[in-house]
Amino acid sequence: MDSSRRLWLGLAALLIASFGVLLFMGGEIHRKAPPMPERVLGSNGTLIYSQADIQKGRQVWQSMGGMQLGSIWGHGSYVAPDWSADWLHREATAVLDGWAQREASAESYAALSAERQAALRGRLEARMRLNTWDAATSTITLDEDRAAAIVAVAGHYRSLFGNDPATAALREAYAMKNDTVPDADNRHALTAFFWWTAWAATTNRPGKNITYTNNWPGEPLVGNRPPATTYLWSAFSVLFLIAGIALLGWHHAVTHGRSQEPQQLPATDPLALVRVTPSMRATAKYFWVVLALFLVQILLGAITAHYQIEGQQLYGVELSQVLPYSLTRTWHTQLAVLWIATAWLGTGLYIAPAISGHEPRFQRLGVNFLWVCLLVIVVGAFAGQWYAVMQKLGLEYNFWFGHQGWEYADIGRFWQWFLFIGLMLWLVLMGRALWPAIRRGDESRSIVGLLFLSTVAIGVFYGAGLMWGEHTSLSMVEYWRWWLVHLWVEGFFEVFATAVIAFLFTRLGLLQAKTATIAVLFATIVFMAGGVLGTLHHLYFAGTPTAVLALGASFSALEVVPLAYIGFEAYHTWKLGHATSWMARYRWPIMFFVAVAFWNLVGAGLFGFLINPPLSLYYMQGLNLTPLHGHTALFGVYGMLGIGLVLFCLRGLKPGLVWNEGLLRTSFWSLNIGLALMGLLTLLPIGTMQLLAAIDHGYWYARSADFMQKPIVELLVWMRVPGDVIFSIGAVAFTWFVMRLWMAPRHEAQLPQGSRAAEK
Amino acid sequence: MIEFYPQIRLVHIAAVFASGGLFFLRGAGVQLGAQWPMVAPLRYLSYTIDTVLLTAALMLASLLHQYPFVHAWLTVKVLLLVVYIVLGMFALRRGRTRMARLGCWVLALLVYALIVSVARTHHPLGLLHRWAG
Repeated sequence: MDSSRRLWLGLAALLIASFGVLLFMGGEIHRKAPPMPERVLGSNGTLIYSQADIQKGRQVWQSMGGMQLGSIWGHGSYVAPDWSADWLHREATAVLDGWAQREASAESYAALSAERQAALRGRLEARMRLNTWDAATSTITLDEDRAAAIVAVAGHYRSLFGNDPATAALREAYAMKNDTVPDADNRHALTAFFWWTAWAATTNRPGKNITYTNNWPGEPLVGNRPPATTYLWSAFSVLFLIAGIALLGWHHAVTHGRSQEPQQLPATDPLALVRVTPSMRATAKYFWVVLALFLVQILLGAITAHYQIEGQQLYGVELSQVLPYSLTRTWHTQLAVLWIATAWLGTGLYIAPAISGHEPRFQRLGVNFLWVCLLVIVVGAFAGQWYAVMQKLGLEYNFWFGHQGWEYADIGRFWQWFLFIGLMLWLVLMGRALWPAIRRGDESRSIVGLLFLSTVAIGVFYGAGLMWGEHTSLSMVEYWRWWLVHLWVEGFFEVFATAVIAFLFTRLGLLQAKTATIAVLFATIVFMAGGVLGTLHHLYFAGTPTAVLALGASFSALEVVPLAYIGFEAYHTWKLGHATSWMARYRWPIMFFVAVAFWNLVGAGLFGFLINPPLSLYYMQGLNLTPLHGHTALFGVYGMLGIGLVLFCLRGLKPGLVWNEGLLRTSFWSLNIGLALMGLLTLLPIGTMQLLAAIDHGYWYARSADFMQKPIVELLVWMRVPGDVIFSIGAVAFTWFVMRLWMAPRHEAQLPQGSRAAEK
Repeated sequence: MIEFYPQIRLVHIAAVFASGGLFFLRGAGVQLGAQWPMVAPLRYLSYTIDTVLLTAALMLASLLHQYPFVHAWLTVKVLLLVVYIVLGMFALRRGRTRMARLGCWVLALLVYALIVSVARTHHPLGLLHRWAG
């Protein structure tokens, strides 16, 4: 059996085993999700909340932007509080204040002596953690003190989400528009949902001394502290990481240079000879859309960041009344995925006929049709979200056409289906163009097959976003949502990135297909070994059992293992970029691929692992250390890859043109320096300060207005401006470069003799 | 964040003078036919100063609730800034003849002075408002 076949079998076995365990854990999460009670009663039998209230409250929360305005169980955005932690702290404080007033005639709990406070805390901890859920009657019963506290906290939220002047300053601090939820009944329902998430976070699982959310969030008042398992599995995850690095190091030492046969390099650029077919030419519009979406995404990002300073305004303009924070953030995060995905779709459609040399019938029609569909999806989904967040759509239609509120899976279900069908159409277009190359059976067959399989996985796994319904339990929604997000970005995107870069090098004649196939197959096995079960590391505190924490911590640590060696890949890529004189034509795509490797190490590897062990994430989840990882990994890796791929395609789409090196140099360095400054000047320092606050005072404080409005924090938010300006210059330079290829092209033939050599 | 107002204002003013001073020197160098004004380190220094200047300006606008296109004097400042940038580009690089570069340089310095006077007086006409009545 040759090594390629062995690796294919190994990959198949790995995927079957990993997905088997992942599905089993899905069953466990379903079985052990926090219960949704039919009714919540006071000890005197009065109804506090019904199941309908809680479920309607979730719909209201989703319609106003859900995770894009504050967070639940740590998942969401960072300016407004984590509503679960905020409610929990307010309810605990209200109960303590009530006792202090009744039993000690004190003004509040804070006015008591330390000894008395400790006694009340002890009582509170026992009461709040006690599980009074009765499965037989589907009822939760609460004592009168808690019932009274719930009324008080609910009053605060009704004020906050309405237009009450008493909470106007807080709305501004949280970047909420006035009348976020104008309907009073909906506001009441919203409080039911927030209460339920806080209840799950502070109530012990039956027969255990750990809450449904594994004691998250940290809250000293109710004894929510990291459970022993977080320490245990954090330590083991580091152990597994070091063991993985050692094993891969050994493998590299043994196999390095084993199959490096001397390669006869082509004298001229083989891709320059590729015939550009009509469907390939039609992909140009995909790249124009990429640029437009990228620029809009940056603009929305700047507005979103500014809302952290002026919660409802943009330099004197009352922007929140027409374009509130939750919308700008929704579109900012969605456009990131959309433009990167569009770049990849366009690249796939461009290279498929180039690989096979076959232009199927009506391929151009399909490419154009898909492009129109994508535009309709973007415009339609965004319009629905605007109507939802502005509370003009109504809850009845929100799930299908409005805002689902799940970060990165925000668009209405109708638009999700439309996008899924669009991705299937993309697969059909890719498959029919690639089919002759796959059937040929030459030595490229395997790598073409792997490339195609990764595109199939990208398309098919979007289907995970269709697995939840309107009332599916929160834990299960999170489970499927991370199937979609995690398996894309830390699984199939990685495979696609590795395969497409290796594939391009084989087409350029710089790598032998056999060597590239084995390298890519091996890399895929390494990525997927950690990647599939690593999905669970997003679910440590999402109402899941402890096994999720153990598996998630262990396997996600393995995800970092290949990144520790990415320097090899970066150097290899850079070296291939200098393999022949004509490779100078691809200097900038290669540089962007090197940047992909760099940010894979820094953004995904270092900043990813920073928040990865359970003990770290217990405190860091939802702090600014999360977007530090998000920005540097998502743009740093996949954004840079998207730009590199666009450049590669442009070489073929507009052959014989002289590239403006100055613009590309400006773009490359500005994007990289801007991204680094964004992380180092703002996100890392604020995140670190928040971390210390969360450890010292509880998670709620690190996310509170009191903390986030500290002068030093606001100053650090302003420090985003230099990085963002530099980054924007890079994006504009890149756009200008592409536009000039169409508007003011300079042909190589127009160059004086001496200067043409440099270009070639 | 008003606590940091004096420091931010100081940084803004320092960046204004650093930016204007550097432009004056580079422009003078260009008029004398020197190569050094366009070397990379000086260009990057200029970009860095201008980025600091812009950041401090945005912070001040937000702190004082005085905004371009809302308050006239700041609107004039922003519009004059655009004119200054365009003139500066022609003075240093894009001007085709020596006279064109010289003219743009002098005009740019005059616009710069007007921007500073608008900032000092918080009036759209700057110091000119005394003569304008």
